[in-house]
Amino acid sequence: MNKASFVPEILAPAGSLDKLKVAVLYGANAVYVGGQKFGLRTAADNFTPEELIQGVAFAHERGTQVYVVLNSFLHDKDLAELPEFVRFLADIKVDAVIVSDLGVVKTVREHSSIPVHISTQASTLNLSAARLWKKMGATRIVVGRELSVKEAGNIRREADIEIEMFVHGSMCMAFSGHCVISNFTQGRDSNRGGCAHSCRFEYSLDMGLDTEEKKTAYFMSSKDLEGLRVLPEFISSGIDSLKIEGRMKSHLYAATMSKVYSEALSYYASHGNFLSDDFLRWEIELSKVSHRDYTEASLVNPAGADSIFNERENAEGGWHMAGTVIEASPKAGIVVEVRNAFNQGDQLEILTFKGANISLSANEIMDIGMKPVLRTRPSTLIRLPYKPGVEAFQLVRAQSGVR
Amino acid sequence: MKLTTFAETLHDLNVAREQGLSEIILGHKNISRFGKLSSEEFFTLSNRARELNLRVIGEWDILMTENTFNLSYPVVTSLLSGIDVLRVQDPGAFEWAITNTQKPLQFIAENGNHNLPALQGWIDHAQGRMDRIVLSIELSRDVIAEYIQKLTVPCELLGLGRILLFYTPRALISPLAPEKLKVNEEISVLGSSEESPHKGFPILENRHGTFMFHIKEFCLLEYARDLAALGLGFFRIDLRFGMQNFQSEVMTLSSHFEATAFDDFKAKYPQDFMRGFYLVNKTDVLFPKLKNHRLQKRDGDFVGEVLDAEKGSHLAIMIKNPKGLKATDKLRILHPKGEEFDIMIHSLKNLSLEEVTEIPVDQMAIIPFVNGVWVKSQVFYL
Repeated sequence: MNKASFVPEILAPAGSLDKLKVAVLYGANAVYVGGQKFGLRTAADNFTPEELIQGVAFAHERGTQVYVVLNSFLHDKDLAELPEFVRFLADIKVDAVIVSDLGVVKTVREHSSIPVHISTQASTLNLSAARLWKKMGATRIVVGRELSVKEAGNIRREADIEIEMFVHGSMCMAFSGHCVISNFTQGRDSNRGGCAHSCRFEYSLDMGLDTEEKKTAYFMSSKDLEGLRVLPEFISSGIDSLKIEGRMKSHLYAATMSKVYSEALSYYASHGNFLSDDFLRWEIELSKVSHRDYTEASLVNPAGADSIFNERENAEGGWHMAGTVIEASPKAGIVVEVRNAFNQGDQLEILTFKGANISLSANEIMDIGMKPVLRTRPSTLIRLPYKPGVEAFQLVRAQSGVR
Repeated sequence: MKLTTFAETLHDLNVAREQGLSEIILGHKNISRFGKLSSEEFFTLSNRARELNLRVIGEWDILMTENTFNLSYPVVTSLLSGIDVLRVQDPGAFEWAITNTQKPLQFIAENGNHNLPALQGWIDHAQGRMDRIVLSIELSRDVIAEYIQKLTVPCELLGLGRILLFYTPRALISPLAPEKLKVNEEISVLGSSEESPHKGFPILENRHGTFMFHIKEFCLLEYARDLAALGLGFFRIDLRFGMQNFQSEVMTLSSHFEATAFDDFKAKYPQDFMRGFYLVNKTDVLFPKLKNHRLQKRDGDFVGEVLDAEKGSHLAIMIKNPKGLKATDKLRILHPKGEEFDIMIHSLKNLSLEEVTEIPVDQMAIIPFVNGVWVKSQVFYL
């Protein structure tokens, strides 16, 4: 057994305090979060100042880093409000901020010594650009998703700066930060959090004068990135951090991604390879979460025609989240906050923080007052019989369509 | 205020000279997003431009992955003798040009860069070699006016031309029409979606990727005099994409605007116009509506949220405040519809239904049911 000397960080999305806890408990080495302003996910719950304090404390107690996104392209009036927030972030000891705008970089550096990571929104794609941002004070570059791992590794060596790459999740089809469809067609600034996802629309394409040449296609929609099989290249190229997209996505998504990728890298750390019997299980886990078709996009070779997701958006994945374990003890049983209804007798899976998941049949469902329940309802609490290994914050999932 | 524009032919140069322009922008097909010139054509136009006393701006505005960058900078190097000023957009191109050339530089800051510190930051980084900065068309008049006054180099703004909405290096059209790419170096189509109120977006695929434009063109001709008065350095006219025959007319309108002539021009021009955000940019006003207001108040005296309610039996509250919940606490419960209920806790139980004096953070508190309170209600210390 050869232990690995270098393993990248797994950086997971945390759209809310609950999701932060989920990502941390399921193995993420770092999480990225947004405050109420200055980020790109306006519709996400995001964190209040008190939640940021709690989130940083929760993560740091478990050795997990917290990065705060300040990656909007801010206008002057937005920028005026930034110094106070930056000082607050410094006071609560966040580990880095993620920034795409030079004005924000300068403001952060003027008012704090928080490390600055350059967001993928800045579309940093080459060594020369990385050198520029390093001169501006950046300590890490989240490179554009158009780069191959090999190219990014070269930048890492030559510029001597930390490199972060996306390993999983939805992808902009456009160069990040270079799409203003929402701005000009819907009056919502996509680079300040108002993206309307026009690239996911179906378009009728008029190919020429002949009207019969019209074709209908989701031609601007990208498949989702999945980089599990590229992990060896990430490691050999020295990529410092592997980022999972998706602050707007579900608790189940945050849990599954954090668990799978951290387990894979833990295996590599111990063995120096990925020849694990669990590899197939990890791939199956990734397939169970709602997703578009997967692609390796440009991680190995430039994304080709097969990276286009020419299908209608479909939220159905193989499995869906049934609920969250609120408490588990022999006395209380497994108390679950139900998110999606399930019936007595349904097959459930509890996503453990590490290792194999726990299967159970919902044969005995009780409400909090200990009355039997035949069909659960969303936004209620129920009890299932206790099983060892089940803990609070673990997620419960059910197979879609099997109800 | 001076005019600037692109040249793709010798005729374009002659029109520029006739209209009194002092410079011209040339785009080589390998390094300019919409450039069509080969190296030979580039030098032919460059030489002729210099004979006409036109300053030659070489445009290098593609975004480049490391591999593309390594193919591009040798092209730039080979063109330098025919370039008086180098215009770049990729920060990597900017950094390379500062380090590896002596040319004056123009930085295209059209994407983002909506604040003064960013713009001045780029200028400062050029160490005195910044010749001009190209401003975003998303800026409003008042902001443009301020930047013109405060920035230490001349500013340029698009006066007339297509609005680029989307730029990807991926080939998105040719997979749908592979036969078209064999014939042409670029493919142009029109795209419409039932989910968008706008129909007929021009879409172009070329060697650099796929580009989508707005159905209307950006036009500030009627504000040209205003911008000149504000001190704008350069007003850019972009008539590539088949509008070159309007060059003289547009130049005249830019220099000597006349309302009737503009109306005639608008009637003839194949595309409709928009002025974008010139009068006001309100692209952030919808953001508060995107927020879930129920989730807004979660700090200070926030205790937690009701996750389960059984009429006549109990309320289950998930405690989110590190102070926890004590059996002696007084609470205010806020129904999602806004109704408030002030209560004393008479009984506090844990999930094992044991009477307790305190429930810590991240655990569930069971209290007696309160009439009118329902799931998703928020609980605060009173």
